[in-house]
Amino acid sequence: MKTHDQHGRGRSRRPGRSRLLAAVGATALVLSAGLTTPPASAAPRAATVADARAAQGTAGAQDSAGSKGSKGSKVLTVAVAQSVDSLSPFLAVRLLSTSIHRLMYEYLTNYDPKDGHVIPGLATSWQSSPDKLTWTYTIRNNSRWSDGQQATAEDAAWTFRKMMTDQGAATANGSFVANFSEVSAPSPTRLVIRLKKPQATMTALDVPIVPKHVWEKVGDFSKFNNDKSFPIVGNGPFVLTAYKPDSYVRLRANTSFWRGAPKFDELVFRYYKDQDAAVAALRKGEVSFVAGSPSLTPAQAASLKGQKNIHVNDAPGRRFYALATNPGARARNGKKFGDGDPSLLDQRVRHALFMAVDRRTVVGKVFQGHAVEGQGYVPPRFATYFWKPSAGQELRYDPAGAARLLDEAGYRRNADGKRVGKDGKPLNYRLLCHATDPNDKAVGKYLQEWWGKLGIGVTVDCLDNVTDPWLAGKYDLAFDGWSVNPDPDFVLSIHTCGALPATPKDTGATDDFICDRTYDQLYARQLAEYDPAARAKVVKQMESRLYDLGYMNVMAYPNAVEAYRTDRIRSITTMPSAAGNIYGQDGYWSWWSAVPANSGDSSGGGTPSGVIIGIVAGVVVLVGLAGFLALRRRATADDRE
Amino acid sequence: MTADTTATPATGPRTLARQRRRASVARFWRQYRTHRAGLFGLAALVLCALAALTAPLTVGSHVQSVTDAPGAPLESPSGRFWLGTDQFGRSLLGLVVWGSRVSLLVGLLAAVLSVAIGALIGITAGHFGGWYATVMMRITDWFLVMPTLVLAIALATVMSRSLGTTVLAIGVTTWPTTARLVRAQTLAVESRPYIERAKALGGGHGHVMTRHVLPNVMPLVLAQTTLIISTAILAEATLAFLGLGDPTVVSWGGLLQDAREAGAVSSGDWWYLVPPGIAIAVVALAFTLCGRAVESVLNPRLGVPR
Amino acid sequence: MTAEATPALVEGAAGPGSTGRAAGRAPRAGASASYLRYVAGRLGGAAVSLLAVLVTSFFLFRLIPGDPVKFMTGGRPVSAQQIAVYRKEFGLDLPLWHQFTDYCGKALTGDLGTSYQFRAPVLDKITEALPNTLLLTVTAFVLYTALGIFLGTRSAWRNGGAGDRLHTGLALTLYSIPSFWLGLLLIIVLSVGVGPVPGLFPTGGMESGGTEGFAYVLDVAHHLVLPVLTLVAVEYGQTLLVTRSALLDEMGSDYLTTARAKGLRDDLVRRRHAVPNALLPTVTLIFVNLGRTVAGVILVETVFSWPGLGGLFYQALSVPDLPLVQGLFFVFAAAVILMNTLADLLYPLLDPRVGR
Repeated sequence: MKTHDQHGRGRSRRPGRSRLLAAVGATALVLSAGLTTPPASAAPRAATVADARAAQGTAGAQDSAGSKGSKGSKVLTVAVAQSVDSLSPFLAVRLLSTSIHRLMYEYLTNYDPKDGHVIPGLATSWQSSPDKLTWTYTIRNNSRWSDGQQATAEDAAWTFRKMMTDQGAATANGSFVANFSEVSAPSPTRLVIRLKKPQATMTALDVPIVPKHVWEKVGDFSKFNNDKSFPIVGNGPFVLTAYKPDSYVRLRANTSFWRGAPKFDELVFRYYKDQDAAVAALRKGEVSFVAGSPSLTPAQAASLKGQKNIHVNDAPGRRFYALATNPGARARNGKKFGDGDPSLLDQRVRHALFMAVDRRTVVGKVFQGHAVEGQGYVPPRFATYFWKPSAGQELRYDPAGAARLLDEAGYRRNADGKRVGKDGKPLNYRLLCHATDPNDKAVGKYLQEWWGKLGIGVTVDCLDNVTDPWLAGKYDLAFDGWSVNPDPDFVLSIHTCGALPATPKDTGATDDFICDRTYDQLYARQLAEYDPAARAKVVKQMESRLYDLGYMNVMAYPNAVEAYRTDRIRSITTMPSAAGNIYGQDGYWSWWSAVPANSGDSSGGGTPSGVIIGIVAGVVVLVGLAGFLALRRRATADDRE
Repeated sequence: MTADTTATPATGPRTLARQRRRASVARFWRQYRTHRAGLFGLAALVLCALAALTAPLTVGSHVQSVTDAPGAPLESPSGRFWLGTDQFGRSLLGLVVWGSRVSLLVGLLAAVLSVAIGALIGITAGHFGGWYATVMMRITDWFLVMPTLVLAIALATVMSRSLGTTVLAIGVTTWPTTARLVRAQTLAVESRPYIERAKALGGGHGHVMTRHVLPNVMPLVLAQTTLIISTAILAEATLAFLGLGDPTVVSWGGLLQDAREAGAVSSGDWWYLVPPGIAIAVVALAFTLCGRAVESVLNPRLGVPR
Repeated sequence: MTAEATPALVEGAAGPGSTGRAAGRAPRAGASASYLRYVAGRLGGAAVSLLAVLVTSFFLFRLIPGDPVKFMTGGRPVSAQQIAVYRKEFGLDLPLWHQFTDYCGKALTGDLGTSYQFRAPVLDKITEALPNTLLLTVTAFVLYTALGIFLGTRSAWRNGGAGDRLHTGLALTLYSIPSFWLGLLLIIVLSVGVGPVPGLFPTGGMESGGTEGFAYVLDVAHHLVLPVLTLVAVEYGQTLLVTRSALLDEMGSDYLTTARAKGLRDDLVRRRHAVPNALLPTVTLIFVNLGRTVAGVILVETVFSWPGLGGLFYQALSVPDLPLVQGLFFVFAAAVILMNTLADLLYPLLDPRVGR
């Protein structure tokens, strides 16, 4: 459940949650993939990087920060819209930071780029005890830290133990170890984790394993940002060599990486606050890749499509873009809170609202074709779980039918043409929208007009920070969106009664305060179902139930639209490899697999000659201007004399 | 003006005052006419005001409707859409004309609010003096040093996104200069002998301030208003551009923000970006020119070129 | 710029406003003791202003809707106890006045708190970004002040001439253009490139990274061109207009006529006599401008992705990252206050009529 919008700006109202989701989401993969996988099935042909200069990835120490990218070194520059929140894996929650940690540190396991099943990472194999409480991992013996030391099971054990014992170190990933009772490393290649109760996400522990010998010197984990001494010791495909806040993050290829060295010598993430600037930088060749936040706009994609040497990757998205309705917020203890409009508790009203939404127009006009019309809860990209409403069930776009439904439900028009609620006041819904998301604002305009024609008023409430009203249940309708994992468990779990907050004062895992007994029973059933086909069937029933309830209906599945320069990047792995995204993958595949193009030099940034030409031109103009003015002045002074 | 409409003999003091005022207005206009730039600004303003006022007739409120948008998204300028279309397929020419209503309204209201606060504080501080003036001027000084844009952004963030918020944020942050100018003028007026006389004749504070001081500072206040409107229009655009405006209404700054969010800058869709910016610049410039002309008529020392 | 006064307005402000203030209260006697007293008064006033800023920044931003704890926990499921722990850690459980006294006490020792989102001391974040902002603003400031004074002098000297009209008109026009819009246009034209014009300058940021030494300086200079150009374009007009009107005021003076009657060359009269005197009132404005430019650079920094204070402020507001917002607000206001005070202090030293 990793996506651009889950972090920082974007639709997400819950920026920090994605990592947990990724973990939970991979549960089924574990179940289906079995415990052994062909090692490195995705590994590329043995990397023969011509540039053997830095063959010892360990020689990092002297090759410090902005190493002057010696001639011919291949640099891959990526424009990002997010800034790094922290370089400490114990604190970072933003997508950019966690993606960088993927590149810096090896995790126990990884996901296959083809279909996302679990494959070995730092651990080569793993097994659980019959009582399901002890997990034993075999740690590979061919992974070295960039300072030359061997990466061992003790490093992993120390990392987990630190998170279990130090509140500060548990900030970002504490949820992964919450259920651990004991972690030990009986030998350098054996890691043993004891659990309090069975946990199926044990092959999806997305926790960067850090070198113990470096990190044990850290004092206060809640304050240490890992950004003081470079290069940062790691064992991932890249080694971080330099970082400047709000400017760039530089990584050097780790040529001794066990899976094989990356093809590019250097990877640079450059920060562009403004997406237009990032796209312009791509056109000019200042950067080789732009992801957009969360996606390039249709206009940008259209203008880039015709460009020479630029490839627009318009991949089916993993997100859904939905309309959420407040079902009356409440806590597990039964206490109600918030102030959702009571008329929305009537299913007919919810259906009528959705029937007045022309999904085709949303896809065609707002996303301009870079999305797929919404159906069930899970996007069609995940064919196993994708569900479509039957003909009789579908809430087709039908404004007249919607009006009829509302009449039936007793919300009739008054003399002004406004529909009147049970309290005699005209219906007017607050629609919570993310001020930073152009799509929310655009769709909001359409909804306002469509529902206006039904006689229902809408106040579009665009906020930078929607978390507060949302968690407090102070909304009627809201734009909602999640990125779905290959396994839909998490996105299904957030609509169960169990996810509600314990009391109104707590924060629950719930997305929209939905609590429905039928749905919950189905959820329990799918969780216990180990047969994939049977489980998929139950999941589809859940989607059907959710659709009928009408609290959460999907308007569209937005595509992931990103672009890169083909004169810099010859090939790059998408995930899933058939048609998938590049930025924000569950793994380091894209950057690790990217093959530089032969043509031209691939150094990021303006070429020095360009710099010099620019400055010379500027100076010439200034000097010329000054000289001209001085001459004129002299001339006039003479005249006057 | 305080002149009332009751019929009075031709020689009554009210009539006299009215005549004097009419004469001074005529004199003002004669001098104003000599400022070419001022006339140009005035003409531009009249045109803009006309366009804004007649917008319901010429373009109609349906230009902002997204569901009835006539064109395809981001069409370049053509015979049908002179300035092209926005990302919803709405006519940009219509939107720019329609947006002038909000932009001008916000500019006007914010300037009026700003000048009203400034004049109120300036006059009362100048009139009462003493500790009241000290406190008020201290506050004014303090607002004067506040970074206006930062404060306006902060205020706009604190409050909900609406036109009222924008007006308030601009009004509250731009008044101090007016207050200082008005106070200085008030002090000058109050030192004149006839105020002494009015007081001696039993004129109260209210009487002196509204009947004598206010009419005298009025020209200054008007000049200030004109100048501040220009500032306010720019500020409105800025706040909207930073995403702090009301996203549900069409304004010039909002159009620029929409254009940026749609990615018009990097897509080369200049027609989306250029017209609102030019509109802002033209109106801001026009108000500045008028303001300067008015100011120079009142205070010829400033040497504004004719 | 934007919410700041228009040129003519500032002329007014510079008259009865700050300059007038300085002139009015400045010691007229020659004794240096009185100057010291004056200095003490000014510094005291500045301190009071700073304190007021501290108070405002604390209370104003408490009004921002949004619970910092909910942000920090990122919406993860947390229990009421955990929330309480966080509140305690950041001192949010204390009564407001208590939080305030804590805040003031720490601020006096230079501790502005810990940023919620970066988990780093606010002071660190600010000192990280401040040099970048200063580089941008000071460069722009020097250029637009020089340009403004130069063109303003020429305009005044040829009052009413074609050059005067051209320069005044251009200055006013540029002054009316929204800076962010100009920045965007410059990016389109000079950075992306239009038609035959190649993209000469980088689209944003401060450096490409990976350069050292002279190459680094060149790289930063290259990135600096467009933002500086934008700032200079929208800001020089004000200096031009103020210089111009100050000089016009001065030119009516008798001593200039005398100087000319003596047979001094025209440009000498201008350079030696008129300009130095006329520049005095401009000094205040110049300093105030520097302070304001630091605070007003938010827009340009946003458009050009410049890693400065403005961008940080914007990031901090949306959280809301209260300690960071407060800290930045304080810095912005302090910049203006500092510069104003400096102007007030310098003025009597420069102007013999007011000074000692």
